[in-house]
Amino acid sequence: MTKLLEVRDLTKRFESGGGIFSKARAMHAVQGVSFDIEQGKVVGVVGESGCGKSTLARLILRLIEPSSGQLHFKGNDLMAQSKAQMRDLRKQMQMVFQDPYSSIDPRYTVAEAISEPLKIHRLAKGDALNEAVSQLLTKVGLNPALADSFPHQLSGGQKQRIGIARALAMNPSLLVLDEPTASLDVSVQAQIISLLEKLRNELNLTYLFISHDLSLVNYFCDEIIVMYLGKVVEHLPTTETPAQHPYTRTLLDSTFEPDPNQRREINALEGEVPSPFDLPLGCAFAARCEYATAQCHTQIPELIEQTNHPVACHNPLAIESVAPVLEGQQNAL
Amino acid sequence: MIDQKKSKGFMRAFKEHSVVRAFGSVLGKVSGGMMILLVFVAIFAPWIAPFDYAAQNLMNANLAPSWPHLLGTDEFGRDVLSRLIYGARTSLSVSAAAIFISISAGMTLGAAAGYFGGAFERVVMTVVDLTWSFPDILIALIFVAIIGPGLTSTMFAIAIAYLAQFTRLTRAQIVRLKSETFIEATINLGAKPSHILLRHLLPNALAPVIVVGMLAIGDGIVLEATLGFFGLGAQPPTPSWGAMMSSGTAQLFLAPWVIIFPGVIIALTVISVNLFGDELIRSLDIRERMREN
Repeated sequence: MTKLLEVRDLTKRFESGGGIFSKARAMHAVQGVSFDIEQGKVVGVVGESGCGKSTLARLILRLIEPSSGQLHFKGNDLMAQSKAQMRDLRKQMQMVFQDPYSSIDPRYTVAEAISEPLKIHRLAKGDALNEAVSQLLTKVGLNPALADSFPHQLSGGQKQRIGIARALAMNPSLLVLDEPTASLDVSVQAQIISLLEKLRNELNLTYLFISHDLSLVNYFCDEIIVMYLGKVVEHLPTTETPAQHPYTRTLLDSTFEPDPNQRREINALEGEVPSPFDLPLGCAFAARCEYATAQCHTQIPELIEQTNHPVACHNPLAIESVAPVLEGQQNAL
Repeated sequence: MIDQKKSKGFMRAFKEHSVVRAFGSVLGKVSGGMMILLVFVAIFAPWIAPFDYAAQNLMNANLAPSWPHLLGTDEFGRDVLSRLIYGARTSLSVSAAAIFISISAGMTLGAAAGYFGGAFERVVMTVVDLTWSFPDILIALIFVAIIGPGLTSTMFAIAIAYLAQFTRLTRAQIVRLKSETFIEATINLGAKPSHILLRHLLPNALAPVIVVGMLAIGDGIVLEATLGFFGLGAQPPTPSWGAMMSSGTAQLFLAPWVIIFPGVIIALTVISVNLFGDELIRSLDIRERMREN
């Protein structure tokens, strides 16, 4: 297995406020995130809204400049690329955005939107361009006759397929999917997910799948990275690996179970996420954690990266106690 | 088959074009029709005007409206109707050209300021805001002092008077659009800044600028008339509505038609330009159109 993307110690601080009389306050959106993505894998990133997962996606693609850290894509140091080199590399690393309604220029027709990447990189023109557009539309399961319609005439699912077609136009090897199904109906979600699975097999794609839906990630991904307040708290190497971090465990417990025989008590997470401007001294999750000890409130738990299954917790859960939850999830799907 | 499809598409595109859609309502038809009529009159003035606008005949001075001088004559015996018809040329062309210059310069400055931001933006916006602190008449006086009275100074005075408005508007649009997801998506495709600015930001910022430009043409006509009234604009014998009103003040009670008719025409023109601008706002609003669909 070859590494497609290496992320090391990626950090993003946003400065906010600050004037003549007040000091600027730093907000840690993403803190020291490290992981690898192997060729052909689907890596899921989950976490509550505001945990920095969308920022992480944009940092990896350098749509936002990281404050520090290293990024290597196919052996290229992304942080060392010039603007022109970066534009060229973008052909190989594309993104599908969360909101299909706002990710296409309202003035562009479907054909114009899909042919735009090919025109920008001068990959095709004339009849070849039209041919490429029809092929891409067919590839994402749309009728090529839609080419002349405007985005506002299409449904959310159709627009998201266009977003995918646009991302695929330049034959990328990495697709970053930023909650591609979050703003769609459940039935359409399933269609988009199965389309993404089909495309992955056909085109040998690698996915970084950002989502807040743990059951979806569990179904779709090979590895799961769990984020809390800008940090990785647990990295599950497979979906069968039992969760050991109390936060992951609570996330799993809070997913709904459609099968009445499998139904269990919903364990909703209590309390609020601490402000990213004012991080607690110890573990960021300690205030909401039922297993928290005195050590958790004073000392930040480190993510042990050498192990096969890194967990950032002083008191990881025993493995036996959690195993059935994930199995139940998989049966449900 | 293909031709049929294409021509159908063209007719549909024409019918759906925002300017054509602005004629949809009664108000749009009346105000738009009035504007088309004025432009037509301005273009074909030599064929429409019954008399030479400069021909003096002191025997016929201050004639009340009657045949053949339908709107009467002024103190030099010149036909008021003919002067109004030729005056449409001056008023419309000076104001339209001034607003065109203003929009071009304002959009360029505003787009650059909004896109690049930083110190460049602060310098541009400060200089542009400075023009707002001068009254329009004062700006016109400065130009008259530099290049002498005439239509060129009027044009530049109007252009500068509206520059800040277009710069601010464009900048605000660009700043708003810059944070839209589709711009981020286009950057992610590997597009250069020039592509993003010319293909996405400016086309999306254009609609409100066009509408404000339309309304500014109305104001520009008034400003042109004001400058003409003070003798800073069109020089005799070139007819201009403002200058005609100015000469009419001398015999306000003797021959009121000399001042009334240019005044009525200015009012009618400005009203129809503004009303048509309102209709254009409605038809250009993409969001409103989406709701209709």
